[in-house]
Amino acid sequence: MTETLLTLDDVTTVYDHIEMLRHVNVQVEKGKVVCLLGPNGAGKSTLIKAILGLVKIVNGTITFNGEDITGEKTHKIIRKGIAIVPEGKRIFPKMTTVENLRMGAFIEQDEQVIEERMEKVFQLFPRLKERAHQIAGTMSGGEQSMLSIGRGLMSSPQLMIFDEPSLGLAPILVEQNFETIQKINEEGTTIFLVEQNASLTLEIASYGYVLQKGKVVAEGTAEQLMQSEVIQSAYLES
Amino acid sequence: MTFLDMLLQQSINGLMLGIMYSLVAVGFTLYFGVLDVINFAHGDFFMLGSFMALVLYSIAEAAGWAGNTFLVVIYLFIGSMILTGVVGVATERLCVKPVSKAPMLISLLVTLGLGIAIREAVRILYPRGSDPKGFPTLLPQGAFNLGSIVIRYENLIIFGLGIVVIIVVNFLINRTKMGSAIRAVAQDGEAAMMMGVDLDRTIDITFLIGSAVAAVAGIMNGFYYGKTMFNIGAMMGVIGFSAAVIGGLGNIYGAIVGGILFGLLETFAAAVLPYGAENKRVFAFLIVILFLVFRPTGILGEKVYERV
Repeated sequence: MTETLLTLDDVTTVYDHIEMLRHVNVQVEKGKVVCLLGPNGAGKSTLIKAILGLVKIVNGTITFNGEDITGEKTHKIIRKGIAIVPEGKRIFPKMTTVENLRMGAFIEQDEQVIEERMEKVFQLFPRLKERAHQIAGTMSGGEQSMLSIGRGLMSSPQLMIFDEPSLGLAPILVEQNFETIQKINEEGTTIFLVEQNASLTLEIASYGYVLQKGKVVAEGTAEQLMQSEVIQSAYLES
Repeated sequence: MTFLDMLLQQSINGLMLGIMYSLVAVGFTLYFGVLDVINFAHGDFFMLGSFMALVLYSIAEAAGWAGNTFLVVIYLFIGSMILTGVVGVATERLCVKPVSKAPMLISLLVTLGLGIAIREAVRILYPRGSDPKGFPTLLPQGAFNLGSIVIRYENLIIFGLGIVVIIVVNFLINRTKMGSAIRAVAQDGEAAMMMGVDLDRTIDITFLIGSAVAAVAGIMNGFYYGKTMFNIGAMMGVIGFSAAVIGGLGNIYGAIVGGILFGLLETFAAAVLPYGAENKRVFAFLIVILFLVFRPTGILGEKVYERV
């Protein structure tokens, strides 16, 4: 039997008195790439915010590593071993590459460990090493995207959440990003990938959920979803 | 005294005042960074700092250990920084942070109101609080000559202290983990939380630093003029805010540059312009207005990073 790392059990959230997610059940198995597909405005970002404690959960529970993290403060949830590569990269524009990476390791105290992890990130993205002391806001979109992923890796998380990593990037960069995500997963990090781009996502995911209007409307293995009507009609017709 | 000597002399006076303004401006810039709030009560923390020092001094006098001037000065600064800092954090939690997400107008009114509340509280609670209060002469008096320029020991000490405080604040913000949390929150609060930064604690620390630094400026001001009064915070708030705007709101170096520039403008206006002494602030604020019109982002204003 496989172990479940993250569980959303019957989760309902409210934002400005509007229910954004309604009775959502999602499970992310340890070591896998699990994806969440859905159109714009389906509530994908809200689901991530719910996991991170950034929106109010009115019903249901979220469990990470067997521990109830529902309603916990964001910085405490992060400390349990979750990292996020947020939508739009959200790097710190006035900090350098190195400073951004160090922010990624904010919860880590051991200076030596931070140095080692940074070395690893530089191996994964040699480009970032060239840009080590450049102000992040002046770097290209592709470089910022690498930095955002690298920053997520700096806390050496058990679970890494990717929020729309393909958004606003050139197709070649998108493919590179997905290869990187696969590589990170192969090294043992569980991935929860939230995307609009269904075909690319299902290539690397083993299991997926489809969210529409705040509800999970389909779930299954990547193959099952590829064949499913929801995906076929909504995402793959072109 | 030649014209050049006079300019030099005024520069020194201006620098001294300017450092004081810088210390107040730093608070404005820090608060704007982490909370997107312009805290118009900040000037009153400058005033509160000077009154805290007066209270601490009378305690020391009553207890009979006001003898060692050097130690008393240190005790006044540190004690007032702690007390003012604590009041700063308490008011932030009570009324500044709760309105930080509301429209700008709300936080503006709330902080203006908070400033009035602090001012009136000091007036009512301090014995004969409506009158100017004399400040003890604790710093060494006298002066020395440097060429034809006269430098007072007291001013030199105040200036040196201001520089030290600025260096310490700069170190805290740019070289410590706590400082990197403050900078990260200033750039993107939610992203900072996603890195594991405790947002509430970071905001508390920012207000602790801001209020404590304003308290230092308040005591410096007390020593410089030999007195303080319950209502000096209102003008200092406007000056500190203007200095932060001239320098570029949100930029800590900008606040320092802006403060010093404001101090220099004021002293030069007083020395050079006809009727300058009475109208020095008119002139200085005129320059602020010009900045607002022609360079609203300030001297070291933030470039806006936009990327598709």
